[in-house]
Amino acid sequence: MTKKKLLIALAGNANVGKSVIFNYLTGLHQHIGNWPGKTVEKAEGTLHFKGYTIDIIDLPGIYSLSTYSLEELISRRFIAVNKPDVIINVVDASVLERNLYFTLQLMELETPMVIALNQIDIANRKGIQINVEKLEKLLGVPIIPTIAIRGIGIFQLLEKAIEVVEKKHVVKHVPMRFGEEVEERILKLAEMVKNIQSQYPPRYIAIKLLEGDEEIEREVLQLNPEIITAAGRLKEEIEKIHGHPCSTVIVAERYEIAGRIAREVQMLVPPIKPRLGERLHSLTTHKVTGYIIMASSLLLIFYSIFTVGSYVSDFLNIFLYSIEPLFYNFFGVGVTGKLLWSMMEGMIAGITIVLPYIAPLYIILCFLEDSGYLSRVAFLMDNVMHKMGLHGKAFIPLLLGYGCNVPACLGCRIMETERERLLATFVITLVPCASRTVIILGLVGKYLGVQWALMLYIFNLAVVIVLGRLAFKALPGEPTALIMEMHDYKWPHLKTVLKQTWFRLFEFIKIGFPTIIIGSFTIKLLEVLDLIKPITLALSPITVTWLGLPMITGITLIFGVLRKELMPVMLAALLETTDFTNVPGFGPIQMFVFTLVSMFYIPCIATIAALIREIGWRKALFITVFEILFAVVLGGLAFRILTLISIK
Amino acid sequence: MKVDDYMEKHVVPLTALRDGETGIITSVKAGYGKGRRRGGFGVEKRLMDMGLTPGTKVTVIKSAPFHGPLEILVRDSRLALGRGIAEKIFVEVEK
Repeated sequence: MTKKKLLIALAGNANVGKSVIFNYLTGLHQHIGNWPGKTVEKAEGTLHFKGYTIDIIDLPGIYSLSTYSLEELISRRFIAVNKPDVIINVVDASVLERNLYFTLQLMELETPMVIALNQIDIANRKGIQINVEKLEKLLGVPIIPTIAIRGIGIFQLLEKAIEVVEKKHVVKHVPMRFGEEVEERILKLAEMVKNIQSQYPPRYIAIKLLEGDEEIEREVLQLNPEIITAAGRLKEEIEKIHGHPCSTVIVAERYEIAGRIAREVQMLVPPIKPRLGERLHSLTTHKVTGYIIMASSLLLIFYSIFTVGSYVSDFLNIFLYSIEPLFYNFFGVGVTGKLLWSMMEGMIAGITIVLPYIAPLYIILCFLEDSGYLSRVAFLMDNVMHKMGLHGKAFIPLLLGYGCNVPACLGCRIMETERERLLATFVITLVPCASRTVIILGLVGKYLGVQWALMLYIFNLAVVIVLGRLAFKALPGEPTALIMEMHDYKWPHLKTVLKQTWFRLFEFIKIGFPTIIIGSFTIKLLEVLDLIKPITLALSPITVTWLGLPMITGITLIFGVLRKELMPVMLAALLETTDFTNVPGFGPIQMFVFTLVSMFYIPCIATIAALIREIGWRKALFITVFEILFAVVLGGLAFRILTLISIK
Repeated sequence: MKVDDYMEKHVVPLTALRDGETGIITSVKAGYGKGRRRGGFGVEKRLMDMGLTPGTKVTVIKSAPFHGPLEILVRDSRLALGRGIAEKIFVEVEK
């Protein structure tokens, strides 16, 4: 007997425990990637159960099935086009009304479904008791109460899902009726669209036309423009009756149904105990204690990641480099040996970033997000971040960017829209990371004085703010204003956090390692082929004429793409001195200009890999090219201004 | 509605509510921006989807310092709303 295949989709609001259920179901047979051509995360996994091979897709956490965000559009299309055999709708029992609003929309898509009524323990503690049988009857959808975090109800959920697939006829959604004036017009419109070819059910199309859904309108317009005209007329009628835009009326009525159902099945009793979460919320969002808690916890995170990280990183570095002599013994010190070792070096560079920095950062970010603290930080910082055109949530990745740009860019995954993610990653690549700090302090700080180094940092901050704002204005699309849920604090599910970290790391390694290795190999190849000198010569109009730097700095700038913290050392080797106080042709002005250019000129190769992963290679390339040009222009201007000042 | 009606019914933007005060949404005037590039429906649609429909009760809990976002309670869930948007939500103050 061949195994039967099933497709199950998990859908629901953000932060309702969807990923936890996903992890229970799929275990280690999962894969986190991107939706084709999009930078929205897609988690899929497989499981074998009762002779079925079941593919499970964890749809993005969303509040609606309109086209407000890419995530909503992707989810809707997936359900309509791929037609999952059954949808598991994960519902947060403690915020029933808003969750049911989403459930009602899923029902409009007329796909078989099962509801996982999750976090009933939290609901109970809040004093909410839910009559499950009644809810089941009112919706016509089977419901399994679950406490995903403890694995309760997951097995029954899966069994029920299979049962729904096997006995399709048994479950029948109770059709949701809107108010009379609206319902009547939906039916009229549904009758008209009955015969057109679409992936979506007629009633759904009718509702969406009245809601003014652009995607559906476009689709219908091609097939039968008359329907659009008719829909327009019906919309106006509804608007006249209710005095609100038609889409508002429909959403309001859908919410009213959700609210009515929620009130009918909920029984409110006094909460069991004064809730710790409530107090924690007040403290962490308070105008004084909130900022104190935020500053101390973020400093602690920053400090522990980057001190422990650099310790581990150094250790790994020494350990891995200790095989170098062995390597050369084996492959010889000839061209092949050198080239092969360069690839090893790339690998080492990758390992010393991924293990000590990215892995802990992923875990911590995941923890902050799942527990609910991230949204509190966003609440406190939104206003400040807005000044540089960013969303409040971008504060944490931005801060981490001062340690290392790579995990910071990867951390931009927490941003809700593509536009916000792009803005945040762009701004982060401008922030001086620890490696650039080595250059700033090691050159300018050491030889020109701390005040000059400080000035560079302040100047950098100004550039970040100005360029951030400019990018914010220049980018197409609507700025996403802050509309964010602050769900109750809860303890994250450790296994889910760890698994997600592992699968995301794996995704980064797939892009990051080849990029770093190829980069390292290419530069070694140039060196072996004796091409470095001709290239620096070719660069001399920029480095010498425009920037006023010695020609050999071109070499450091090229190698700096791999590892910026090595630039001062390399410069010392090339200038044949470790003391830069009195180098002919590399005076204070040159030192300042060189540092300034190094600060901005290009994201390092690992950051570029992170950018490719988060925003796609085209935008990554654009940012890279932009920053090279920007640094060159800036450096040249600085050179001229400083020369002018010093002449006077 | 005439100006007098506004006065009489105490229709004010959400930002005018004091901490702890409750209002009932009368209208949302955030506009249906046509962000075609993102296939966007606009902020108003988003607000609706989060449950801020006309006739809904909203309680302002507090606002973040330095003119920051508002913390509100709506349909049993806690939302953070940017001040810019909160200004476009009109409520009738509940006495």
